[in-house]
Amino acid sequence: MKKCKFKDQIDNYLLNRLEGEDKDIFEEHYFNCTSCFQKLEERNELISTIKTRGAWIFRAEPAPERRSLVPTFEKIYSFFTPRQWATVAISAALLLVAVFGILPQFRQSTPQFYLSENEVVRGSFLSLISPVIDVKGVPSFFEWRQLGQDVEYKIYVYNEKLLWTAATKETTIDVPEDIKQLMVAGHKYSWQVRAFSAKGTLIAVSSRVQFQIKETE
Amino acid sequence: MKTVEQRPPELNLDEIVQKYRTVVGFKVKKSLGTRTPDWEDVVNEVITQVIEKVKKGEFRGESSIGTFIYTITSRRIVDYIRQKTKVLKGIPEPAVLPDPCDDAERRERTRVLADAIKRLKPKFREVLDLYYYQELSRQEVAQRLGISPRRVSERLNYAQKLLRKMIKQ
Repeated sequence: MKKCKFKDQIDNYLLNRLEGEDKDIFEEHYFNCTSCFQKLEERNELISTIKTRGAWIFRAEPAPERRSLVPTFEKIYSFFTPRQWATVAISAALLLVAVFGILPQFRQSTPQFYLSENEVVRGSFLSLISPVIDVKGVPSFFEWRQLGQDVEYKIYVYNEKLLWTAATKETTIDVPEDIKQLMVAGHKYSWQVRAFSAKGTLIAVSSRVQFQIKETE
Repeated sequence: MKTVEQRPPELNLDEIVQKYRTVVGFKVKKSLGTRTPDWEDVVNEVITQVIEKVKKGEFRGESSIGTFIYTITSRRIVDYIRQKTKVLKGIPEPAVLPDPCDDAERRERTRVLADAIKRLKPKFREVLDLYYYQELSRQEVAQRLGISPRRVSERLNYAQKLLRKMIKQ
């Protein structure tokens, strides 16, 4: 590429050494020559930097050698803009608060059981054991986990409506024959257990578990 | 008259504005100083005038579009200086205002470039110091360093090449 003859004028122009007609001619030129204008902008940035930071740049003592750490740090730092780094920091802080501050409270809170629209019970977990999945025949008993000493349990079995209820202090209860007669293969049923203290206070309610009696082939 | 740019059958005003806004801005800042808060207004006025004149058909292709815009820019700068001189006659000069385009990105580029210059080898740093910072002529720099003026030019060019490479990294 042929070198533009005006390129040599760039320094003189920027250092205010061009005057009068020479200056006008050069200025008109860079309005018409993209290459010269680009060089002009680049050189202007260099000279501006030297003029504003010259005292620091050309001091006797050189900048300390930071080669081992600075490039790596600068590489990492330049990965995000300052605003993005701020977003990362805030997100990390919120995550820490959520994990260590908020979530443990949920884990430790006692379960709530809604008996009706207005009735809510806070209590212990009451786990049901069997039946909790589909069964081959009519179940002959229901079983659940023990909650504590001196606890009375009440079981409720439903199809579309309450089919059977009974009370026991054990953690299993046999299904009466007349109730077995009402339970038909191919239908879905659900059951739930409530636990009461010796004084009759409701202390726990299990979730309502559904099961289906499979049809015999 | 030979024109540097061929006049297109129809000028694309958007392209012209995009291309020449920077060039006009450079000249205005150089003439008025970047610390003059009105420089951006002057640039906008120049661009507006250019658009109006082109729409009115005042650009007839006798010169290049670059020269046309340069002429409008020069005249507007002269008018501005005259206006300011009239207004300020007898009134003390206002305090120097902060550079209106002293944005964070420019400051960062300056910091990076200054750091790069400082890391150059002494023989390149000293030519930049003598020629740009102390504004000695090429001859004077050559005498000071005991080298030829041509060698001074070579070192200046190579220093700038190195700086370009360092900044890209």
